[in-house]
Amino acid sequence: MADDNKVIIPIGPQHPSLDEPASFTVTLSGERVDNVVIGIGYNHRGLEKACESRTYVQDLYIVERVCGICSHSHTSAFCMGVEQLAGVTVPDRAEYIRAIVAELERLHSHLLWLGVAGHEIGFDTLFMYTWRDREKVLDLLAAIGGNRINYSVNTFGGVRRDLDESIFAKITATLNELEKQINYYLELAQTELTLKARLSGIGCLSKEDALKFGATGPVLRAAGVAQDIRTAEPYGAYKNFEVNVITHTAADVFGRTAVRILEMLESIRIIRHCIKEMPEGAILAKVPRRIPEGEVIVRMEAPRGENIHYIRSNGTDKPDRIRVRAPSEANWHGMQHMLKGEYLADVPISIAAIDPCYSCTDRAITVNSDGTRKVTDWQSIRKYGIDWYKKRGLDMADIRLERGV
Amino acid sequence: MEVLQMLFKVLLFPGFLFLTSYAFAAEYIDRKLHARMQNRKGPKWYIPFADFFKLIGKQTIIHDDAHAGIIKAMPVVSLAGVATAFIYIPVVGSSAVFSFEGDIIIVLYFLSLPVLTQFLAGWYSRSLYATIGASRVITQMFAYEVPLFMCLLAPSLIANTWSVSGITQYYSEHPLYALINLPAFAVALITVQSKLSKAPFDAPEAETEIVSGPYVEYTGRPLAFFRMSADCEEVVLISLVSAIFLPFLSGNAVIDVILYFVKTLAILFVLTLMRTVTARLRVNQTVTLCWRYLVPAALLQMIVNLIVRGWLA
Amino acid sequence: MSNEESKVLQIISNFPNLDGRIRQIAPKRIFTDPLESGEFHQLVSYIHDEMGFFRAHHAVGVDDGENLGFIYIFSDEDNTILAAKQTVPKENPEIESLNKLYPSLLLHELELADLFGAVISGLPDVPHYPLPDGWPEGSYPMRKEWKPEYFNKETMTYEPPEEVQKNG
Repeated sequence: MADDNKVIIPIGPQHPSLDEPASFTVTLSGERVDNVVIGIGYNHRGLEKACESRTYVQDLYIVERVCGICSHSHTSAFCMGVEQLAGVTVPDRAEYIRAIVAELERLHSHLLWLGVAGHEIGFDTLFMYTWRDREKVLDLLAAIGGNRINYSVNTFGGVRRDLDESIFAKITATLNELEKQINYYLELAQTELTLKARLSGIGCLSKEDALKFGATGPVLRAAGVAQDIRTAEPYGAYKNFEVNVITHTAADVFGRTAVRILEMLESIRIIRHCIKEMPEGAILAKVPRRIPEGEVIVRMEAPRGENIHYIRSNGTDKPDRIRVRAPSEANWHGMQHMLKGEYLADVPISIAAIDPCYSCTDRAITVNSDGTRKVTDWQSIRKYGIDWYKKRGLDMADIRLERGV
Repeated sequence: MEVLQMLFKVLLFPGFLFLTSYAFAAEYIDRKLHARMQNRKGPKWYIPFADFFKLIGKQTIIHDDAHAGIIKAMPVVSLAGVATAFIYIPVVGSSAVFSFEGDIIIVLYFLSLPVLTQFLAGWYSRSLYATIGASRVITQMFAYEVPLFMCLLAPSLIANTWSVSGITQYYSEHPLYALINLPAFAVALITVQSKLSKAPFDAPEAETEIVSGPYVEYTGRPLAFFRMSADCEEVVLISLVSAIFLPFLSGNAVIDVILYFVKTLAILFVLTLMRTVTARLRVNQTVTLCWRYLVPAALLQMIVNLIVRGWLA
Repeated sequence: MSNEESKVLQIISNFPNLDGRIRQIAPKRIFTDPLESGEFHQLVSYIHDEMGFFRAHHAVGVDDGENLGFIYIFSDEDNTILAAKQTVPKENPEIESLNKLYPSLLLHELELADLFGAVISGLPDVPHYPLPDGWPEGSYPMRKEWKPEYFNKETMTYEPPEEVQKNG
């Protein structure tokens, strides 16, 4: 306890409302936030350093793991950068498949956010409903890429897997269900009184402040700035059609909720359009192993906002420097400003409202031939892997796991 | 013989044993309903018992700064308070185990005990989260206690008695008069939810803000008894509300017991529904709701009841 | 003449010494060659005040061997990106913070300090980011000579063999 009846309360590094380690040292006077010191960086994994000593193809898999939720966005940006450096044109069909996956990712990211927001304000029913719907999107992504989270659809010069009519039919059917649900959430957000009472007027970041602190994505659009890289600097398939930029004037958490829900409807529209207009042809262009010398800055719109990759090549098969600016990194700057003067009760939802990025561990599913599912734990996956290599003449059973793994 | 009968009533039915069994059952029903409403499967029927016995078996850890005596005593005091209150509430028909003129006041005071113990438990846990939780508990109490008292006392004005059994008796003889008390019934449901610290009034225990408020330092046996006491409190409160506002009786003991379950479970259903469809309110929003809307509503009910009473007399 | 070209010409007309050192390399991308600290700050305050580059996205550190390069990425209303590069000798990597003009560069500048060892004046007093507490002084992991194999996670010390130290 500090003097003047002020209480210093630590939120994090470990706290039920945080999905990643981060520390917020909140000074309270009464229930009001007087000051907050933000400590982040607990998750720094040195990925950029790791990228410098590996080839571009290996880096693709590292970049995919920058974020668990926007894995496709990071590989898209990275691939676009490398393709620009190599002067390769990606086939149209691949661009459309990338766009479909990107919008599916936006859907699952926003549904996830809506659930987390519900949980932060004690509305667990919303959490359960949205995460149930998110499962449907994850199933689609698993059907497309073979994995729920790191679907690895992208590769240099195009995409790894083609989509056929049966998947399009599956996507269309799921989208019809989802559209109904999302419209329901929209109605809920507009009519449910406690929800509105808890979301309106908190975490305010005005238009001027949002621009000053470099906010991006739904945080910026909720402040009334129509900035979306898909229209500001169209890339890939977005060059061929219009994207409606969703904005809101509320500039608070409620505005961000509304923007995200409406963006989901827009994503559904884009996916339908992409399926309808899907061009025929190849899905992969050849990219040389050695990338010509040069530097490039790529911008693209991830679910959380603008994602920037800086890539510098020195003419070898390994990059000289890769720098990723994830959207959350830009949104942290306004956080202190947002939290000052808030009630303690609103701190978790205000933090959650910028949708801070975290890596999420995936559960593993093995699908047996008869279609039944089984959840596999870490030990049995390890055993499966060891057996798999044993059959091919490699014995890995003696390799000890490093401490802390 | 009479002593034995009394002991049976106090300890077994409708006393302590019945109360605790029904409390666990109510917790199960509440959790199961909540889960089904949220599209989940929910727990098996024995999970509340299993939770209780699991916690009983766990190690009790009390850190050095906390006041060990208070930490250990509070759950017992809380449980004793609710169990005693239950004795004055009629389960079978209109007669409670004990009753005297004015016992409704006693019941309300006993029912304040769990809240005060929560506050003390949080305060003497000497943890930041618990302290903030404790201050929220007491703030919230000042918000809902007044409308709760007013709406529970309003029906007694018409019945012209200050005993719970008396009120039940009166309204079961004049069931139509119960309709006059409908606004007070609505106020009672909301304030009972608030007293139970359940959504939308779960700010004192808000997991995502202050971890679990007053209970954050609780482990093992004290936690088990606190949870049991919270379950019992729920049953006592819904029984009280049903005795005062839903006084429909048949006169046949077996049918009356069945009626008791139907009425209390109906109220439980409403409370569960309320906590499923709402987000958590901030403490200041709870205070605003109680003082700006619930108190005037309860006050209006009292005035109406006074007029009705004068008209009946 | 495209929009970007006119912006390049506007900058060159105000800073004749930048002629040939600033160019458009792709649509909506203007890059500069490495600039000295003085030139760099003049350029940045000019584009901030006069040309409406109100957004700062990013500060990227690069290791150019003898020098460290810090690439600052700005954009304006038309979403034209201007990447201005500042270069400082590795021996004495002192730079001035742009925090006053662009508050959104704070985290990126802290990263430059932690990962590249830039000595930045004018930063507010904020917690360490992103390296953990107890990270060895004078060890900057994003410099090319820093090798992860010489870092001991248990003791948090960085001990390169003698010859590497001399060469690096």
